[in-house]
Amino acid sequence: MKIKLNSIFVDDQDKARKFYTEALGFKVSKDIPVGEFKWLTVVSPEGPDDLELVLEPNANPAAKAFQESILEQGIPITGFEVDDIQAEYQRLKDLGVVFTMNPTQAGPVTVAVFADTCGNLIQLYQAGA
Amino acid sequence: MLHKDVLISLCQARDMLRDTGDGTLSVQDVAREVGMSPFHFIRLFKAVFGETPKQCQLRARLERAKVLLMMTEASVTDICMEVGFSSLGTFSYVFARRVGVAPSAYRAAARSMMKVPGETPKQLIPGCLSLMSGSPG
Repeated sequence: MKIKLNSIFVDDQDKARKFYTEALGFKVSKDIPVGEFKWLTVVSPEGPDDLELVLEPNANPAAKAFQESILEQGIPITGFEVDDIQAEYQRLKDLGVVFTMNPTQAGPVTVAVFADTCGNLIQLYQAGA
Repeated sequence: MLHKDVLISLCQARDMLRDTGDGTLSVQDVAREVGMSPFHFIRLFKAVFGETPKQCQLRARLERAKVLLMMTEASVTDICMEVGFSSLGTFSYVFARRVGVAPSAYRAAARSMMKVPGETPKQLIPGCLSLMSGSPG
């Protein structure tokens, strides 16, 4: 048994594709039409290249309610590890990405939180910084 | 940095924009409700939600229209009014451009997939993970 997928809900898959590739720099791995929606996954060029993030439509009303409530409470839906959080923070900020938490030391890690333009907050973290 | 209170205001603004019932608010109304200038509101909303308030409102209206076309017997004209359009021509044009088919064709296609009248069509509940399990990779 392997963990090869993680999924997050997005409010629009076209917006998600754009943000997760153009701003975050991930690469589209699968983009398969499924009815009105798509099986849309991205991978990080920094690896591991077989671990895919599914950008899943929030069309189910339960998914929508969950996503909205978590956002309004300011809670990140997932986190991505970075090597240099200050550099990544500055790069994203320059692209117009909105942060709800600037890089902040939290015990053994430094964390920052931004809005992914698809109804989620995402945490960045740098270990040992 | 976006303060938590501002994030909450933006979430509330999004709820207002998506409310397609009676008394639909304009973008200016919503900006006023959350205490921001329209310019500041539109700029911030776009940065956080990846679309302008107007685009968000339009998307919500079309989503609501899709549900009504699938789940009710209401006429296309009634649905057009219900989701906040005042002109059937504009509604049909915008719907076809965004969704890819005319409202009546969308209804017919959705109905043909329903096994039991009134059941929630599978388009509303994408079962991506269950549907695709085994196939990715």
